[in-house]
Amino acid sequence: MSKDTSSNNVAAPPPPLDLARWRMLPVRLVAVGAVISVIGALVDLKGFGYAWLLSFMFFLSLGLGGLFLVLVHHLFDAGWSVATRRFCEHLATLLFPWMAILFIPIALLAPQLFAWMGPEEGASASHIHALHAKLPLFTWAGFYLVSAACFGLWWLLSDRLKHWSLKQDETGSAECTFKMRMHSCWGIWVFAFTLTFGAILWMKALQHQWFSTMYGVYYFAGSVWLTLATVYVITMILDRQRVLSVVLHEHQYYFLGTLLFAFTVFYAYVTFSQYFIIWNANMPEETFWYVVREKGTWFYVGLVIIFGKFFIPFLALLRIDVKSNFGVMVLIAAWAWVMHFVDMSFNILPVYYPNGFPFHMVWLPLGIMALMGGLLAMVFLKKFASAAPFPQKDPRLVEAMGLYHPVPTQISGGELDQTDDMPDATVQPKRSH
Amino acid sequence: MSATAKPYGLLAEFDNTTDVLHAAEQVRDAGFRKWDVYMPFPIHGMDRAMGLKNSKVGWFAFIGGLTGYTTGMLMIWWMNAIDYPILIGGKPMFSPHGAFPPSYELTILFGAFGSLFGMLFLNRLPRLHHPLLKHKRFALATHDRFFVVIETADPKYSETETRKLLEAAGSKRIEMVED
Repeated sequence: MSKDTSSNNVAAPPPPLDLARWRMLPVRLVAVGAVISVIGALVDLKGFGYAWLLSFMFFLSLGLGGLFLVLVHHLFDAGWSVATRRFCEHLATLLFPWMAILFIPIALLAPQLFAWMGPEEGASASHIHALHAKLPLFTWAGFYLVSAACFGLWWLLSDRLKHWSLKQDETGSAECTFKMRMHSCWGIWVFAFTLTFGAILWMKALQHQWFSTMYGVYYFAGSVWLTLATVYVITMILDRQRVLSVVLHEHQYYFLGTLLFAFTVFYAYVTFSQYFIIWNANMPEETFWYVVREKGTWFYVGLVIIFGKFFIPFLALLRIDVKSNFGVMVLIAAWAWVMHFVDMSFNILPVYYPNGFPFHMVWLPLGIMALMGGLLAMVFLKKFASAAPFPQKDPRLVEAMGLYHPVPTQISGGELDQTDDMPDATVQPKRSH
Repeated sequence: MSATAKPYGLLAEFDNTTDVLHAAEQVRDAGFRKWDVYMPFPIHGMDRAMGLKNSKVGWFAFIGGLTGYTTGMLMIWWMNAIDYPILIGGKPMFSPHGAFPPSYELTILFGAFGSLFGMLFLNRLPRLHHPLLKHKRFALATHDRFFVVIETADPKYSETETRKLLEAAGSKRIEMVED
């Protein structure tokens, strides 16, 4: 039996993490990324458009993933995720105005990027039929109105959730919890529909003849997967900086790791199902999407996704102790960023580079990633500095801290919460990593 | 009880969760190996107080799952491509895509078998009798009492010292249980 776990001795914690020397990193990323983007736009405007779309869809994942985590937190009346909720709200508010601003180049270049927006004269009969079958969504008005509606709804939803969360910091009133819960109730539906519309209109519509009812879920699964990996690392950094330490408990890491594992499996399930159904039915109007992606090096990119986005993280995350091992989890999170980038490339770039992954042009999407990532990081840090790092007066905060405090509250309708009858039990200390 | 009965272990009774939790910590720190804590409901932190490591059942589930997946793939390959090939829909005789769903099901099934039978194996179950079941007061472990049992088979066991340890840990009633 191990003797290293006496509940009374807590090892001296390491000094707070000092990231001062990284402070200029976002600005440098923006500077470098802006130069590369301008060069890219001058060299090949259409290629720039696809690279921009790739980067946009990547970071949209983080905003939507953050929004989703806030929504499910309220819908499930969760306790543990109170500690990580505030910065998820910040991630969600990146959707508007920032992601909307980053959408402008796509809106402008859309007629060049999306074949269906182009002239129909030279198009084949099947091309026109596929388009007419999907009216009125696939019209210019449909494209721009639905896009605007998506951003508008995301703004309304993320702004309301953040507003009431910040209000509760001041008042501590249960009304705020009820309001956030109410917004989450309609919000989860709107979230599901807008995410699906976004994934269809901006990514799937690159080959608008295609059919797949899984596509929205597919983008959703990858997005939340990426966000969970990111949230894990942000939590870990804030913990090491002593910002969140007071409200964190070991179980936050375990739960985030478990959710990441769950979404690894969920993503694989959705991705495989989409492929399998099309493979099984074997109809040309569906299989062509995959046929394009088996040409040239795209075939190997597909294999990289199967192994890199499923098998490696799946096997790596199987063990329970890995989920609270920072060294391994940081690597997995970094890997998740690479894999989501590869996955978005696989979805977007074959349209423009049908012969294989454009290794000679990879600097362009990476440069735009640096530009958007740096910009969004600056905005995120500013938002983070402008508010308390975690919800200050949330009624569930005490649960997030791993303490059990049986009091009748307004939230529980005056009932005692289900708790353990341990009046003077020792508080289990957080293991130092 | 007959005079020839072998002693099984010392049974120490506790009245509340806090006492038994601290007692478990002391028994753990004293370096005992063959001992256990019995309680009517799970106590938070007891795993750590007892120094228990993560269960090994996961390995059985993992190996079970791996066996299931391999079995499924091999079975379908042998049946559809070797033993009785039928061409369907112009698909290859064997394709991992088509074989995946049944293999996946077998992964789940064998994984579940692995965890169930692995758990039974690690717990040395099923067994028909346990010495503690003869003890009348032990029935309270399902009601409102908490018990720490240290087996005589433990290398650190000593009739007097172990009794002292349990007394110092706050047990009001310590009894010898016979095999």
